[in-house]
Amino acid sequence: MALTSQLRAALVHIHAGSSAAGLRSASSSSPQQQNPALIESTEEFVFVERLIAPSRIPDPPKHAGPAPSGWTPPAETPPPLPYMIRRSRMHNIPVYTDLTHGNRKMTLVRKVEGDIWALEKDVKQFLQELTGKDMPTQVNEVTMTLKIKGHFDQELKSWLSSKGF
Amino acid sequence: MFRFSVAVFGRGVAKRFSSSFPAEGALPPNLQLPANLVDPSRLKRPPPPADCPLPLLRRCEAVVPAHLSPMQTWVESLQMEDGEPLGRAELHPDVFGVSPRIDILHDVEKWQRNYKRISYAHTKVRSEVRGGGKKPWRQKGSGRARHGSIRSPLWRGGGVSHGPRGPTSYYYMLPMKVRVQGLKVALSFKMAQDYLHVVDSLHIPTPDSQYLLDLIRRRHWGESVLIVDVAEEFPENILQAASDLKKVNLIPAIGLNVHSMLKHEAVVLTLETLKFLEDKLLWHDQRYTPLYPFKLPYRDFP
Repeated sequence: MALTSQLRAALVHIHAGSSAAGLRSASSSSPQQQNPALIESTEEFVFVERLIAPSRIPDPPKHAGPAPSGWTPPAETPPPLPYMIRRSRMHNIPVYTDLTHGNRKMTLVRKVEGDIWALEKDVKQFLQELTGKDMPTQVNEVTMTLKIKGHFDQELKSWLSSKGF
Repeated sequence: MFRFSVAVFGRGVAKRFSSSFPAEGALPPNLQLPANLVDPSRLKRPPPPADCPLPLLRRCEAVVPAHLSPMQTWVESLQMEDGEPLGRAELHPDVFGVSPRIDILHDVEKWQRNYKRISYAHTKVRSEVRGGGKKPWRQKGSGRARHGSIRSPLWRGGGVSHGPRGPTSYYYMLPMKVRVQGLKVALSFKMAQDYLHVVDSLHIPTPDSQYLLDLIRRRHWGESVLIVDVAEEFPENILQAASDLKKVNLIPAIGLNVHSMLKHEAVVLTLETLKFLEDKLLWHDQRYTPLYPFKLPYRDFP
């Protein structure tokens, strides 16, 4: 919790001891000199800090197998394949659908590392077994993404999670 | 006349012809080598081997993905001109080993040049030029071409029809993640091209500029060096030494940018700078989209 000390000092909660003068403005001189019954304490600041938003996405809790929502965690060790597909920042498989021109359906696989052509070969073979047709694919080696004609996101997601990505 | 000119030019040709046979092994005096010629003596610095006896001075604090392993590099010292490396340091592969995207580098460099640019070029349009409200001569019968005002763009001294209009701003912002990725790509390029050096601290024995130049020349770091440290205050000696030098520059770690990294050949980081850069740059890989601007306090801002 790296909040600045200035913020803490600005929001310091001043206890009123026995006196009734609880609300004092921050610009007044230090209460210690005026009224020795007032105590400055910063322990209650924890309750304010709890309300401040976190900035980092937390790691998902440990699940043995798929979660009730259908989410599967990645394998403990990465699978021994020449390519690797990382999870997105929300810990999901990076397969997305796209629809342009009102009727052009595409599936996009992002965040590929390693030998993307081996992944393309495996994806083509998987889709050949699935549909019986040879689906056109486009490999972008600069951005390391794979585009496939047609909507195959659910099938590809389950296939990739079964591989352990 | 022709024979005379041949004789005159023949003497000059013979002189030039004889000068193209230099002494055995000597370079001709008018040879100009390009400045970016790779110096073979630079290439003899392999990365630390796995069984290196030197201690590992810095481990990666952040979690390294399971399919990648941290990269290792030498940690040197600036105390002696030709000292041996003190140890090794680990570098996170997601900051110093990302894929080489020169298109992102180009975008970020172009943005850095242009977002500050305001072009002040301004020309007056025909309505802004002084005068020209009256029709110069009658429409018909004078024999001259028909005109409505003496300041139309056809006229000498008239307004410019499609010229630059007023101060124009070329401000635009690239997405934050693209700029962050640009920094990571630049650091990865420097690492891959062996231009990144890690130093334990920036203390040097003398405030002499020649000491720095000799050190850089001895270690074959390159023509220009960018020295980065986390703290805003640098040690006195290196401040004084680098103040007179044009090609050796010091910046704080928050001032690290793609343009400076591309402008200087070598980049020197300290161990604290490595930690700072890894914290700041890796946070962007696992952060939420901002609920409110990041200037306001968050619970676990890096």
